[in-house]
Amino acid sequence: MKILLVFISAAIVNNFVLTYFLGICPFLGVSKRIDTSVNMGLATTFVMSLAAAITWLINHYILIAFNLPFLQNVTYIITIASLVQLVEMFIRKSSPSLYRSLGIFLPLITTNCAILGLTLFAALREYSFIESLSFGIGAGAGFTIALVIMAGIREELEFADVPAPLKGAPMTLLVAGMLALAFMGFAGLLSV
Amino acid sequence: MTSQRTLFQEFKKGIWAENPVIKMLLGMCPALAVTNSAVNGLAMGLASTFVVICSSAIVSIIRRFVPGGVRIPTYIIIIAGFVTLADLFLRAYFPVISKALGPYVPLIVVNCMIMGRAEFFASKHPVVPSILDALGTGTGFVWVLVVLGSIREILGSGSIFGVTLLSERIYTPWVVMILPAGAFLSLGLLIALINYLTQRRQGAH
Amino acid sequence: MKNSSPLGMILALTVTAVVIGAILAGFYQLVEPRIEANRLAEEKRAIFSVLEGAETYDVIEREVPSDKKGGEIIRIFRGLDADGRTVGYAFIAEGPGFAGIIRMMVGLNFDLETLSGLKVMEQVETPGLGNKIGEEKFEGQFKGVAIRPRIEYLKNKKPVKPNQIQAITGATISSKAVVDAINKRVETILSVLGPQAAAGEG
Repeated sequence: MKILLVFISAAIVNNFVLTYFLGICPFLGVSKRIDTSVNMGLATTFVMSLAAAITWLINHYILIAFNLPFLQNVTYIITIASLVQLVEMFIRKSSPSLYRSLGIFLPLITTNCAILGLTLFAALREYSFIESLSFGIGAGAGFTIALVIMAGIREELEFADVPAPLKGAPMTLLVAGMLALAFMGFAGLLSV
Repeated sequence: MTSQRTLFQEFKKGIWAENPVIKMLLGMCPALAVTNSAVNGLAMGLASTFVVICSSAIVSIIRRFVPGGVRIPTYIIIIAGFVTLADLFLRAYFPVISKALGPYVPLIVVNCMIMGRAEFFASKHPVVPSILDALGTGTGFVWVLVVLGSIREILGSGSIFGVTLLSERIYTPWVVMILPAGAFLSLGLLIALINYLTQRRQGAH
Repeated sequence: MKNSSPLGMILALTVTAVVIGAILAGFYQLVEPRIEANRLAEEKRAIFSVLEGAETYDVIEREVPSDKKGGEIIRIFRGLDADGRTVGYAFIAEGPGFAGIIRMMVGLNFDLETLSGLKVMEQVETPGLGNKIGEEKFEGQFKGVAIRPRIEYLKNKKPVKPNQIQAITGATISSKAVVDAINKRVETILSVLGPQAAAGEG
């Protein structure tokens, strides 16, 4: 039961992008078209679930076992960077078509703070292995949802007459603010 | 080439013309997440400045010894190292601030502003300009965070740096300003205002 | 960028990682006692703020069954006055609030009938609404509140019975979370302290 709650909480109630401000860079940068947003979201979700699982193992069997909490940050970021690299090589070999649609996003994922944030939050909340995995998938889903909604709005915005000083980033931030307001409606629905 | 004037320019550009948050839209995650009060913004800004200066200096020193293929991973390890130092320091000497910033301190690692300075500047320039460049970028980051934190704290809690300006009797705080939505709205409007001023000045000339 | 051979790359990464790791280990050794001291100082402040009249305290550790595997070790801080008499017991209660985990120190009077105080230690509730659980106005209500049959909260009404407190307007969920977490923990604490207190110890 808690596994499902963790998932919904990460995906909707405490949406990573709109309430924790994680993954803002790709959120503002990539979310211009719906189809690229979906691909970016899927690639991120995939890396997030892997990262959640692997960092959990590292945290429990290396960092806690040998009492090395101060190396958490360094090991996590190395894990994520190598993971992204491995996933990129694997996809390139196994599925060239998938690589063409996801490939360019993969290097960007390393510096996506949502992934490191996810692993740090999971460790902080002392989730079990399965809960961490569910948290990873949920956070990925939440990221994808935010990205796709944003892209949908921005596609429409292209036809709107935006005042000159608001063009570009300011308008995107204002739209994100309104989305965050909308997502506040979910707040307190559950907290895990 | 490295006359006083150009060195000063390396420092100056980060404050306004290439300001990381306002002009380059880097480091948005901490800029939005921790600016619910002026003091949090200041602490996050200073911690990030410390990390960007140290990592730029080290990256510049070792730039000739790092093979191109592992450049990025090496930089990430160095940045993560300094971030952990900053985190431990805050936890030991400023526990209250450390608690308020929470996991956003370790997250400085993925602040693209820091990686950006290491990759685009420090890896190609000598130590002194690299440090000045990082100092300028850090200063630019600090002032935006403090301004944003102050705006949100005044409107959202009626105080600044914890000192009450507007008593609750005469002013009902706009709670939304210290919530996530307020962060997006304030930063969006701040950038819009700066765009407006810049465009008007350009129009006048 | 001179040596881009695999060996050079491995060497560069290893050296960086080892040097950074060593620096971090050294710095951690240096500041770790201070971080631990900060944590203890906070705990101590919270204990004395919920146990009025306590001069010192000792720690009782008990293993209790819980939904986690292998049970859970709970720590109860027994507050003693200047003459060494027990004034009450403090313990940590935590539970999910509106936006995250709420952690608080709860004081229980030595008669095991009423609470002697509450101090919220960690919370991330909504600023301006739910985070008022950390204010004296809310915390103070728990001083002297009866724990039997269980603590209850009322909305927009002054408490009438000794086991009632008033919820914060607009933040019922946060208030409920506090009350629920305390009620749940009090049961466990009583199951540990009950027989001991009855035996006249302390």
